[in-house]
Amino acid sequence: MAADKPDFDAIDATFDTIDWDTKDVSAGTATRRDMVEIAAFVALLGALVYDYAILRNEGPLVLNWDVLSVEWMFIATLMLLFFHVVIPLQQRPRMRKFYWRRFKKNKVAVASLVYLIAIFTVGVFGPALMSPPEVHFVNRLKPPLFVTAEVNGQMMAGTMAHPLGTSQEGRDVLKLIVYGMRVSMQVGLISMAFAIILGSTVGTLAAFATSIDAGMVDEVLMRYVDLQSVFPVFMLLLLLTYLFGSQLWMIVALYGFFGWEGIARTVRGEALQRAEEEYVMAAQSAGANTAYVLRRHLIPNSANSIITLATILIPSFILGEASLAFLGFSDPDTFSWGRTIAAGQGYLAEGWWVSLFPGIFLFFTVLAFNFIGEAAQDAIDPRRSGEKGGGL
Amino acid sequence: MKWYVVKRVGWTVVASYLTLSAMFVLLVMSPNPGMMQATMSCAAVGEDPDQCRENFKEQHGLDQPVTERYVNYMVNMVTLNWGWSHSRTQYVMAAIGEAWPYSAQYGIPTLILSTLIGYGIGIYSAYKQYSLADYGGAFVSFVGISIPNFWFALVLILLLSVWLNLFPVYYESLIPVEQGWLSMANLEQLVLPTIVLTSSSLAFQMRYTRSQMLEQMNKEFVKVAKAKGASDYQMLIWHVLRMAAVPLATSFVGVLIGVLWTGGIIIEQIFSIPGIGLMTYQAIIQQDTPLVLATVLIPTFIAILGNLFEDLAQIWLDPRIDYGNR
Repeated sequence: MAADKPDFDAIDATFDTIDWDTKDVSAGTATRRDMVEIAAFVALLGALVYDYAILRNEGPLVLNWDVLSVEWMFIATLMLLFFHVVIPLQQRPRMRKFYWRRFKKNKVAVASLVYLIAIFTVGVFGPALMSPPEVHFVNRLKPPLFVTAEVNGQMMAGTMAHPLGTSQEGRDVLKLIVYGMRVSMQVGLISMAFAIILGSTVGTLAAFATSIDAGMVDEVLMRYVDLQSVFPVFMLLLLLTYLFGSQLWMIVALYGFFGWEGIARTVRGEALQRAEEEYVMAAQSAGANTAYVLRRHLIPNSANSIITLATILIPSFILGEASLAFLGFSDPDTFSWGRTIAAGQGYLAEGWWVSLFPGIFLFFTVLAFNFIGEAAQDAIDPRRSGEKGGGL
Repeated sequence: MKWYVVKRVGWTVVASYLTLSAMFVLLVMSPNPGMMQATMSCAAVGEDPDQCRENFKEQHGLDQPVTERYVNYMVNMVTLNWGWSHSRTQYVMAAIGEAWPYSAQYGIPTLILSTLIGYGIGIYSAYKQYSLADYGGAFVSFVGISIPNFWFALVLILLLSVWLNLFPVYYESLIPVEQGWLSMANLEQLVLPTIVLTSSSLAFQMRYTRSQMLEQMNKEFVKVAKAKGASDYQMLIWHVLRMAAVPLATSFVGVLIGVLWTGGIIIEQIFSIPGIGLMTYQAIIQQDTPLVLATVLIPTFIAILGNLFEDLAQIWLDPRIDYGNR
């Protein structure tokens, strides 16, 4: 890449203009963005307390939207993404352009990104505009558009009313798919947020403990990581959902709690190198405490590997939840794609569309995340700059 | 190096002990579905539910102090006395002994096929990097990793079994008993489960082999080998693969457990193969705690032991690693 096309176009090679009034350079105090972020989370917490303490979680909170347990987590995750991914990218146009130029070389990944943005948008806003897929025994097993199938001894053709057909109980498959989009996005993103927070905290703590000669802490933390990485997570989830019930927020939290060991290992490795850097020493001699060094120096400088690992984790969480749901260990109140596919298994020959269509969406969602993960790795990792896009 | 082996074995014992203890804590903390059921059925016939709860506790030794139960549990686990499965009315060990051949008959071919093909394609695409074959391999591995096992199985059943009528839709567990494990009829009904599981495990191995081979190919010793006139074959197999085998070995048990064991639950449930996976699934559905415990602990122990063997194999594969000060 460096040989045939330089990364820095001559025109673009200017420094960012920095408005020093908006930057808070003194150590110890929070920046304006931090303040806004804290205020936003306090507001969210307030709404949560209001919903549970005063409304007792009965009845809708805003308009006709009754915010349920997992959706609180989803809102918090989206806020985290907004403050730690969208805003930094928006504030650093040069960095954004640089990564985008490297990312967009991979056409498949760009297409995947478009697909995922569409799934995300429809998944977030679709259920608000669309009535939930309801049981209608009159509409049992209607075939999709352009398909004629024999159902209960009767030849039937697909209609516009149910473009992807209906299930055994008469639920509209298209609606099931739209509601499933939200579940998949929730599982992928919330679990990722959990895993990143836990993994990067443990990883940097372990590395920092080593650097201040508290090697015991490092040893204990990393031994625990070893143990957890050995444990078959899927089996553990089956067991835990069997013991403690299978609500979606629980499945999501469990995936996050048992999925962070890879992040912890990588962050520890990165942070061990960073902890030796001069700027950490400079910060410490200027009076920064451990928490400050962790938050301001070690975690941001390990961000590249965290992002790379996170994009690899998301699809595995989504697939895992779908598999759990397929086996019947999912929240009975949610329309997970895995559950819809499982429902179609019983009458595969008569109503193949019930399993087929949600599966296609699940497959492409996971595939798209994997493609993006690969492309992000190429875009972010400077050591990979010589390759032409990781195989694809 | 001896010290390293001793330390490694010691850690294996400690890890097993910690795992068993964690499971015990989980069992003590969790609500007991059996007890709730017993109490409810008592209440239904008008008996005193508290008395029933006491009876149930006494019956299952739950009235003893926690320390005593912990010691009993540990002794039972170590002496392989893993309890009685009420849903199958047999000992847990007997149930496992009955079920594992059904899992092995598709698990072992999957493991062999995916390792051979996966390493083969992985090595070839690293050797011919950026060729059409490499891109094809990358595409196949992405699809293999991303395709949900259970959905792929259903699509194959729909296409090949329902529409084309090539393979049976369900596994008939009587066929191996009546016609022998290696009979045509039995092999035929194993084709689809093997294809589904191989597809995902193959993809993992392919992708990982390729990246490890590429990493080693840029090393100095490869240049030296080339300069000394090693053929491509010699270079790939004797120099690069041997080095790549070290990290590859580390991923092997992960693939085995992650793909085969969890994939097995799904595959056996879909095809109704009466192996370990279906047993796990039914144990959980029927709230058969001793059996559930066994099916969680066995893969964990396989993983712990597997990691030990991997680490020991590394000593042999890469003599350069210095274990003196670890």
